[in-house]
Amino acid sequence: MSDSKEMIDLREKQVFTTGEAAEICKVSQQTIIRCFDSGRLRGFRVPGSRFRRIPRDELIRFMRANDIPTTALEGGRKRVLVVDDDEQILELFVDLLGRDGRLEVKTASTGYDAGLLTEQFRPDLMILDYMLPDINGNIVCQRVRSNEALSSMKILVVSGVVNQDEINDLIGAGADEFMKKPFDVKKLQERIAALLELEV
Amino acid sequence: MAADHEPTQARHVDLILRQIETLPTLPVLATRLLALTSSDQSSAREVIELIKHDQALTARVLSLCRKAYRGVNDDVLTVDKAVVLLGFNTIRNTVLSIKVVELFDDHERRAGGGSVHRPNGGLPRLDFWRHSLAVGIAAEMIAAAHPGRGLDPAEAFVAGLLHDIGKLALDHVLPRSYARVVELATLHQGEMAEFERRVIGMDHHTAGKRLAEQWRLPLMLQDCIWLHGTPIEALPRVEHQRMIALIGLANLIARQQHVGYSGSNVLGQDIRALATAIDLNPTAVQDCAARLHEQVQQRSAVLGVENEPTQQVFLESIQRANEALGRLNNALERRSRAAQQQARMLEAIPTFHTAAANASNVQEVLEAVVASANAVLGQGFYAVLYQDRYLEDRSTAWIIGQYEEPTQTLRCQVIEPPPHMPDLAKLVADQAMSMSLMGVLPWIADALVAAPDLRTVKLLPLSCGYGAAAVLLHDRANLPPWNQLAALTSTWGAAVAGASRHEGALRMGEELAEANRALAAAKDRLLHTESMARLGEMAAGAAHEMNNPLAIISGRSQLLVMSLPPGTEQHKAASTIFEQAHRLSDLISAMHLFADPPRPNRVLVDMGALLDETVRGVRNRLSQREADVAIDLQIKNRLPQIAVDPDQIADVVTQLLMNAIQASPRSSVTVIARVDRATQRLLVQVIDDGVGMDAHTLAHAMDPFFSAKPAGRRCGIGLTRAQKLASTNGGWIELRSTLNEGTVASLWLPLNHAQTEQPAESSGDRLRLAANPIPA
Repeated sequence: MSDSKEMIDLREKQVFTTGEAAEICKVSQQTIIRCFDSGRLRGFRVPGSRFRRIPRDELIRFMRANDIPTTALEGGRKRVLVVDDDEQILELFVDLLGRDGRLEVKTASTGYDAGLLTEQFRPDLMILDYMLPDINGNIVCQRVRSNEALSSMKILVVSGVVNQDEINDLIGAGADEFMKKPFDVKKLQERIAALLELEV
Repeated sequence: MAADHEPTQARHVDLILRQIETLPTLPVLATRLLALTSSDQSSAREVIELIKHDQALTARVLSLCRKAYRGVNDDVLTVDKAVVLLGFNTIRNTVLSIKVVELFDDHERRAGGGSVHRPNGGLPRLDFWRHSLAVGIAAEMIAAAHPGRGLDPAEAFVAGLLHDIGKLALDHVLPRSYARVVELATLHQGEMAEFERRVIGMDHHTAGKRLAEQWRLPLMLQDCIWLHGTPIEALPRVEHQRMIALIGLANLIARQQHVGYSGSNVLGQDIRALATAIDLNPTAVQDCAARLHEQVQQRSAVLGVENEPTQQVFLESIQRANEALGRLNNALERRSRAAQQQARMLEAIPTFHTAAANASNVQEVLEAVVASANAVLGQGFYAVLYQDRYLEDRSTAWIIGQYEEPTQTLRCQVIEPPPHMPDLAKLVADQAMSMSLMGVLPWIADALVAAPDLRTVKLLPLSCGYGAAAVLLHDRANLPPWNQLAALTSTWGAAVAGASRHEGALRMGEELAEANRALAAAKDRLLHTESMARLGEMAAGAAHEMNNPLAIISGRSQLLVMSLPPGTEQHKAASTIFEQAHRLSDLISAMHLFADPPRPNRVLVDMGALLDETVRGVRNRLSQREADVAIDLQIKNRLPQIAVDPDQIADVVTQLLMNAIQASPRSSVTVIARVDRATQRLLVQVIDDGVGMDAHTLAHAMDPFFSAKPAGRRCGIGLTRAQKLASTNGGWIELRSTLNEGTVASLWLPLNHAQTEQPAESSGDRLRLAANPIPA
């Protein structure tokens, strides 16, 4: 249990020591130090000391580049953020996606909340409505896409919009896919699985 | 010298009046004489003294006395004796007259150095004075013959002598203009005063009055000088009205007797009537007139006017009278000829009007013009050139009509003017009279097949208000004078212009009616399009709002379906809820078509393959009940590739097929595809022999949500959507249907990109409908 508790702590961390990184990557600390010193694993030293520190993003990049599974860092569950101003829609998504144990779901009702949660929750997928109370979906898309740290995040727009121009705008702003409301639940599940590279 | 400063436009009355004031003043002797009266004994004495001081005058007075009293011994004749013999008034008036005559002649002589500066013509002085003398003598005789009427013979003489002093004044001030006045009065045999007013701006009556005032002549004389030309009926009721009338009468007598020159040639009044009007004895007046010549002969010498034997004066008078008569005759003859011609012109007008009034168009009016010209100007070649200004395209056409005698239209043709040809009306606006065709419109020559000799063809503009309405081409060498022809050509021109305007108004009326119909149709279309667009906009706005709840209904019902055991009532109900939510969503999306039609993604498509695939797709979709309907696809020769959105066109064909199948065809549904060579379009026809549509259903077939089917059956916007998709791909759908016989749905598609517009007569997005029987 202590192990799992530790792992959960590690998952929450944003900056890692070489020891922690070695534990996550299941390699020796020496290997991590060697990679750090050679520049293959980028990081920084704590000011006034020689302690090496590795930011989370850089560690994930390193692990992927070396085919090291990231499940230890990411906890094995895909994070999904649902953004819609309609409470009932949010409830429907939570109910629907919550049935899949591989997914962790959070919701936001405004573009502002969505922005905050993308930083904190680091979703793998954002399900986005087009019309939001504060800013429109295409703006949210643009903000996400202009942030390099969120480059791996997928965006699925699910909206009642029927205007082809607006749909084109969304795709142009960086949305990966568009689905029209009302949707077929099964088709939605298929698309989500495809975007998150999960088995249906 | 007055002549040198004469204004070219001698109409400045002020100037004339000023110059009259610079005329020589009356000599002291004359002025003094006028102040003296016969009643005063001392006056007689003074007159005698005055005369004695003027040797020339003395000689004249004595000579007068000798003539009046033949046999008087010259030795004893003195001025004193002459005054006693002749009487104070006679002496006074004689002296006054002599002085006035002298005054003008002396002045002329002094100022102008003889007659050097006198223009030719002008007022013949000698004859003028002889006339004046004759009037004076006539007035004196008549006054003497009517004692007790308040007419003093001596005063009558002076008044008569001086009555035309105004002519002298005008001639003195404006010699050239006055020469023109004399010339005109002689030529036209008219009244002098009329020409004075016309040429100078002032007549001798007014000028004479001014001079008389300046000379301070007695009021009676002033009025006689001023008013002697006024008809007696118009004379003001002044004290000496009768004297004025007497001078008028004497003037008339002198003229009729042709003594001297008065300038005026009007002799119209009857002397006896005039005499009676002023209460004089007509016989006595006639008697005086008879003795006039003799008296003039006697007295003229005294005035230094003339010294001719009576016989000669008389002969001269007769000669002059003859001349005057001859001139009068000539003038009358001229007028008569002119009047005759004018009458012909005027008679032609009502004849023309009768013909033109029956004309129903411009051509017929032109024929009437030519008929009229034949009658008035004589038979010959005639053609009419005019511009039709009321063509539909707002342009004008030059039209020339040529005529064979008398009015048979030989040829009427539109001719092409050279570039930059000015308007016909402007072209001949400045030309009042006939001009040569070759000089003005040489390019017309080619069209004039009927003209015998082009060099003789002339143009006669037929003018109306804005210029020439038309031009009459003719070969007449001599036309009547323009002032006579003008009335007729204006009438012709006005009739042509009127007919042309009328025709234009008719045409414009037709155009207006057409435009109104088109406008109504356009408005209808616009209303339809607008209402569709509004519906679409509303649908677009509603779509988002409605799709959210629909998403919840659909999502929740689907979750229910997934959790409920299949085959149960609840499972079935949940499925139905799910389906209906999606159906509702489809309807909303379809409505949106009108606000934002889907853009076609046009690629080159093999229509044969597309149709084949579509028909197969429909066959697979058919329900069991519909599955036994055969779909027969016939592709006539090879279909070309065309640039359309394949998905959208497949959609359209599917819709047409589904409609045909749902119409319960008795045998089968036939699809025929071919290229229509005439319109260069691809035609796909879906033909069924099902229930068909009545006119009402057909007319509303494209309205969204319209259905003739019983309520509750699925209905919708399939056709509307199909039409919309066809039109975004540059095509359209036509429906023809007959109730209980079947329907033909035709999809027309362009063969190439340029052909995206449907024919102009087609009505936008609307289906083209025809409720006529289907060809077998």
